Amino acid sequence: MTSADWLLAALGTVAVAAGHRVVATDRLVRAGLHLVLCLGAVAGMYLVLTAEFLAWVQVLIYVGAVVVLLLFAVMLTRAPVGAAADLDRPGWTAPLVGGAAGLGLAALLVDAYRWTAVAPAAPGTPEALGAAVFRSWVLPFEVVSVLLLAALVGAIVVSRPGGRR
Amino acid sequence: MGLPGEGVLQGLAVTARTMTRRADTRQYPDVPPDLPPRSRGVIALREENCTVCMLCARECPDWCIYIESHKEEVAVPGAARPRQQNALDRFAIDFSLCMYCGICIEVCPFDALFWSPEFEYAEYDLRDLLHEQGRLGEWMATVPPPPAHDPRGEPAKEEAAARRPAPGAAGGGA
Amino acid sequence: MSLAELGLRVALVVVAFLTLPLVVGQAEHKVMAHMQGRLGPMYAGGFHGWAQLLADGVKFAQKEDLIPRGADGPVFRLAPAVALLPYLVVLLVIPLGPGDLVAQPLDAGLFFALAVLGVGVVSLLMAAWASANKYSLLGGLRGAAQLLGYELPLVLSAASVAMAAGTLSLPGIVAAWRPWWLLWQLPALLVFFTAALAEIRRPPFDMPIADSELVFGYLTEYTGLRFALFLLAEYVGIVVVAALTTVLFLGGWKGPFADASLGWLWTLLKVFAVSFAVIWLRVATPRLREDQLQRLCWQALVPVALGQLVLTAAVVTAT
Repeated sequence: MTSADWLLAALGTVAVAAGHRVVATDRLVRAGLHLVLCLGAVAGMYLVLTAEFLAWVQVLIYVGAVVVLLLFAVMLTRAPVGAAADLDRPGWTAPLVGGAAGLGLAALLVDAYRWTAVAPAAPGTPEALGAAVFRSWVLPFEVVSVLLLAALVGAIVVSRPGGRR
Repeated sequence: MGLPGEGVLQGLAVTARTMTRRADTRQYPDVPPDLPPRSRGVIALREENCTVCMLCARECPDWCIYIESHKEEVAVPGAARPRQQNALDRFAIDFSLCMYCGICIEVCPFDALFWSPEFEYAEYDLRDLLHEQGRLGEWMATVPPPPAHDPRGEPAKEEAAARRPAPGAAGGGA
Repeated sequence: MSLAELGLRVALVVVAFLTLPLVVGQAEHKVMAHMQGRLGPMYAGGFHGWAQLLADGVKFAQKEDLIPRGADGPVFRLAPAVALLPYLVVLLVIPLGPGDLVAQPLDAGLFFALAVLGVGVVSLLMAAWASANKYSLLGGLRGAAQLLGYELPLVLSAASVAMAAGTLSLPGIVAAWRPWWLLWQLPALLVFFTAALAEIRRPPFDMPIADSELVFGYLTEYTGLRFALFLLAEYVGIVVVAALTTVLFLGGWKGPFADASLGWLWTLLKVFAVSFAVIWLRVATPRLREDQLQRLCWQALVPVALGQLVLTAAVVTAT
């Protein structure tokens, strides 16, 4: 194993452990903070895989904005600082479903590639990414932006005082 | 309001102008402050002038002046009886109570109390702010001379009285 | 780049990280005092109180380390470090001079800087939540709303420069910079500076710590060294924001002469000039109200930044 493999494994362990804490912790805000750790570890994995630009996007959008928005929303609720008794539901269905999905995906991947070596992709520089998005994939990109625009307009219409008129 | 951000620019200009001027701060313990005339720092006592009339102690709004005295007989040669005179035993001002109103100094008919501009008599113990006779007398050395009379002001009462012709001289004897 | 050289570079950045904020902090003491007709600290260290911040540091180190009983201990203790670390990391990619005078040249340096700066919000939320204090929580809410809002104009105005320079690398942007960009990118400069001020929560955007309303916002429960670390983060924030403004909009190491040999000096001078402007604005402007804050962001900064993007795109495609 190369050092990149070791790094990937370590970051993956951090991501999985943090992800487990997100669902297992009994403190609401700590769940959000563990989510920061989890997403940060994923960004680190992108970095190891030379997708530099994607890693920073991950940090900027997910850590810097999405999680903050999440925590912001949690703080608006009556969530206590300490442990909340009703946050955890004991049960065996969730681990079962989660474990089965994870193991199934892993098995699928292992089966798909077996021992074929895959050449690593070209480094994900901003230039390469820009060329890909705006040359080969410009139509999906535009469709997605129209979808986002529609969602924005919809959000404004729904949240306007007075409702539909 | 005119342009947006005009107020901010004005504020920036004012602060920049202030920065170029010298600060008015005086570095007090290093540089002694020049106090205005008639500063009220501490009350000094000229013991010889005190007749124990008790006016100051009675007028004091918060009763911070303590006076103790006894009577002495003074034999005046040629008089039928010896006269009685008050002798001062103790005169103390409690500066932890004093509110620096200056009424005692105003009412003293014999010029025994004065304002001194000294103010550095802070103590670690509240009780040490009770200044006894001796300490009050020491402050006398720091009392400044009275300010010069305003040349365009009204003449002092004594001066006016001295200028007025004596009643006897004008009438020529009735 | 050998390991020893990398170590040296990181060590130099740490030295800059520890000294520049002190210089800015001392400048703030003195400049603010003189702008208000005072003298400021005069005794610590002998000459015009130059050692005041060291004395403050010693004082902070002596204080009792308090953690409220209801607080979430680990999070509470971790928050100052999370506040400080992003700024240290950002300093790594800021070029001081031409050529090799940058600790770690990155291809997407601008994006990296903006992304890492965004992580600072998490420390604010951590401090606000873990303190178990109403004032802290309110400060945290205000801070989150403010930082989320102002991140948009910040990124948009930075994107305008990146578009003009045709690169995301910070040294590349400085190399492409021309003096007439001062005029061309002026709206972006103003938007970036204002949004960056809000990002580091400096007055007039200090709503999250508003001491007259919220005691001290999310810092209410902090004392001693942890509080000192937050203060240090604020001053490092000024340095980082000033450095980013310098590199993006003011031409970095480009000066009137001798760019190659004196580039580091021009950069430092510009950084201090922008830091001075930050302090100056603190003295001259009152704190914004919450609704004014949001209106300024969404009704002034964002449209201006979008307009600047259009203008930049037009000029870039025309030439």
